[in-house]
Amino acid sequence: MAVVTMSQALNMALHEEMARDERVFLIGEDIKDSTYGITKGLWDTYGHKRVIGTPISEAAIAGAVLGAASVGLRPVAEFMYMTFMMCAMDQVVNQAAKSKYMFGGKAVLPIVYRTMAGAGRANAAQHTQSLEAWFAHVPGLKIVMPTTPYDAKGLLKTSIRDDNPVIFIENKVQYATTRGEVPSTDYTIPFGQAAIRRAGTDVTIVALQRMNEIALEAADELAEIGIEAEVIDPRTIVPLDLDSIVKSVRKTHRVVIVHEAHERVGFGAELVAQIVQHAFDYLDAPPIRVANPNVPTPFNRTLEELSIPSAAQVVQAVRGLMR
Amino acid sequence: MTAPAATRAPNGATDAASASPITMAQALNRVLAEALASDPKVVLVGEDIGHAGGVFRVTDGLLARFGAARVLDTPLAESAIIGAAFGMALTGLRPIAEIQFMGFLYKAIGQLAAQAAQVRARTWGQVNAPLVVRCPYGGGVRTPEHHADSLEVLLAHSPGLKVVCPSTPADAAGLLRSAINDPDPVVVMEPIRLYRAGRELVADDAPPVPIGSARVRRTGSDVTVIAWGAMVPVALAGAETAAAMGIDAEVIDLRTLAPLDAETTGASLEKTGRLVVVHEAPLTGGLGGDVVADLVERCFWALRAPPRRVTGCDVVYPPQLLEDIYLPDAPRVAQAIRAVMED
Repeated sequence: MAVVTMSQALNMALHEEMARDERVFLIGEDIKDSTYGITKGLWDTYGHKRVIGTPISEAAIAGAVLGAASVGLRPVAEFMYMTFMMCAMDQVVNQAAKSKYMFGGKAVLPIVYRTMAGAGRANAAQHTQSLEAWFAHVPGLKIVMPTTPYDAKGLLKTSIRDDNPVIFIENKVQYATTRGEVPSTDYTIPFGQAAIRRAGTDVTIVALQRMNEIALEAADELAEIGIEAEVIDPRTIVPLDLDSIVKSVRKTHRVVIVHEAHERVGFGAELVAQIVQHAFDYLDAPPIRVANPNVPTPFNRTLEELSIPSAAQVVQAVRGLMR
Repeated sequence: MTAPAATRAPNGATDAASASPITMAQALNRVLAEALASDPKVVLVGEDIGHAGGVFRVTDGLLARFGAARVLDTPLAESAIIGAAFGMALTGLRPIAEIQFMGFLYKAIGQLAAQAAQVRARTWGQVNAPLVVRCPYGGGVRTPEHHADSLEVLLAHSPGLKVVCPSTPADAAGLLRSAINDPDPVVVMEPIRLYRAGRELVADDAPPVPIGSARVRRTGSDVTVIAWGAMVPVALAGAETAAAMGIDAEVIDLRTLAPLDAETTGASLEKTGRLVVVHEAPLTGGLGGDVVADLVERCFWALRAPPRRVTGCDVVYPPQLLEDIYLPDAPRVAQAIRAVMED
């Protein structure tokens, strides 16, 4: 099995799905030249009818894929930077997410909205936001957040084959730096199945996307002082594999949630509420969230680092719970 | 500019009428008129707010009294409304924009959450935007699709935005006053079904209601019920039903959704040890989760049962005939209060 980067794994999935199904096409800004290499080579193979570059207009991209999907195509749209999905929220929520319900199940809209979140490259406030909490609150959308190249390929294939709108969030800091084994064969990963990234008995750490790398780093540090952390990656937050999380918390009795999005009304809040509801009698300490401290991501490198959860913060949070 | 004299009393909210109880719509109208009269920098912007007086009559009579330069009717373009209002705020005006129904705020959320909300942080405090966005929101009045959404989650998850949500005429007036006085963007979520649900006396000189201050609407010792906007009367009715079962519920009206009044909610939960949160928006990812998570983190050792949430369902806001099933009502609140006592 080849070791590839996150962007290469995503590229493999797109190549394979476009070859498999001629209804699949790509649309977005700068996707012919591909800023991060995700759509590299696809224009050369499939041409401008299936790899469509657009003006800088997220609303137009979201509107176009809505129309294309409603007449039987299977679009994969790219929204460079998640903050700019704000400009397409009406098309995504009021139109795509609601249509199946509003038309009595008759509207089938197989749309994948690929977008990039995550801070850590000095891209400042509008090129770093993680807005999964906005979309997780919208009935009718599935939310996919892959952490490893293997998962990225398998989950993107599942997303493209799903008959509903899917928000597929990629962490741009991982594109070139996160590597892993990815088979060149066809495989899919079902939605709603968490991955246990590390088994442990003393505390559960639920981490979203790149924060799994931070959580594993923290778990190694905690192991040195005799605390065994279990690290859980939900992989998709809608649908959510609550069973795996609750089972782990019932075993460890303690939980820390780690995500890059703002803490207030982040998805961590929903996780805490669900965990407390389903594992109240098992908890030995309050669930704690480690997240962005409710600030727009600063441009300044030093301040930016302070706004992203760190392994040290996770270790500190866990140690606080163990007392 | 010269403001034309009033041709008729807007909503009856004249000085002579101020000694009478008024509706929430009238209370908001009165504060808007006051702001326009006292500060030439205040400008209203929105769809149908001028000639039509607002679809809910909140801006009734203001065009006639203050003129078209102060009360601007716009095309149906929410992104243009917020974009224009944000620009006005940056250049010294005090715009008050209206998004006619909150479901259409999606069209303008980029201008609001990415531009206006972040401008102070992005300029290291050198630039601020005193922008008020009024959003009629919520269900219960048989509106069609997209006209009943409650989108507080988008706003409260956006650093730089303050969000207030009144449930009474007096609080509506007091919170709108604070919003207008605030140097940064504030969204006023106005519960559509409470615009005319009741009347109360609102003094002309009533002080602003501070942003970030919740209000205990019913004192109780057994369980804390937290609600906002149109769910406050529902929570109060649920508490009365529970009282008949011998359960003494405390009902807190959050009034401000961002920032949260941690002190009032924490003190109540420390006392009761039990929590029910009520909101109209869907359960998953709703603001209720954040209220629960915050209180569990701070008051864990006082908790005697797992908190419960009574919310809208995890479906698209339904058509008229189903909305009574979708929306939390007093029996559901009472049932949750009872269940949290038995947990």
